[in-house]
Amino acid sequence: MSGDPPVLSNVVYDDLVVDRRMGPFEETVSADVAAGLAAEIGRPHPVDEAPPAVFPVLFLKALRRAMGGIPPGSILAKQELEFHRALPVDSAVSIETWIGNKEVKRERPFVTIEFDIRDAGGARVVTGRKVIIWPTGPGEEAPE
Amino acid sequence: MSVDRDFPGVTDRVTQDNIDAYAELSGDFNPLHVDPEAAAASEFGGIIAHGPVALHSFFRSATAWLGTAALPPGSKVSVVYRAPTRPGDEVTCELRELAELDDGRAALQADCVNQDGTTVVSVTAELAPLGA
Repeated sequence: MSGDPPVLSNVVYDDLVVDRRMGPFEETVSADVAAGLAAEIGRPHPVDEAPPAVFPVLFLKALRRAMGGIPPGSILAKQELEFHRALPVDSAVSIETWIGNKEVKRERPFVTIEFDIRDAGGARVVTGRKVIIWPTGPGEEAPE
Repeated sequence: MSVDRDFPGVTDRVTQDNIDAYAELSGDFNPLHVDPEAAAASEFGGIIAHGPVALHSFFRSATAWLGTAALPPGSKVSVVYRAPTRPGDEVTCELRELAELDDGRAALQADCVNQDGTTVVSVTAELAPLGA
């Protein structure tokens, strides 16, 4: 990865294309990140395998890279995770993501984003999805 | 199987510091989580935590119950975020139902509840036995 993606995205709901694949994005689950999510957040606890809280973080990292930032004002409504294989800390993973569905319900735009996380050997580690209420207001400029 | 009293109901105290720590870990600097002015102007009227911060007490409870750092392969977790969690909240995971499936997995339903008794997160999970 050459530099961080922007902080906030300006992608609007109408521009989201169902089934268009994004990635794979490469990430490394460092011992520090795993430790930071193994106990109370911000109070690191060393572990040998990635704790479950690592995977929503990987979802967010992939979302930020896929969308050129996090959609400002987006709200997480639902999340599903399927655990296929343990992941030792300091492992590299690749994450593919795509829009699984988009629909307006009760005048709010709901977007389902699918994730497929694989280890360096290509084996599935975690798959899942999140349903986000997409922001409807104008995009915001990323802070400096 | 009746509700297992040995399931630990872990409590997380949510602070702006651990919301900020989660933003750093995840790269999610959504203004709803880190910008008091923007959050105050939103429908929530102030800062709310990232959804997974509210879910965290479930993951901590489940891994403590299993006695492992990770969830075993074959496990599934489904989460509904029901209400916002704010700095100063204390979120406790409460087990509601527990049953054993034919394949040996534990099927459970749990809620993450704040100090006012409001369910902020509901979880349905199938946890595979260790070594499966």
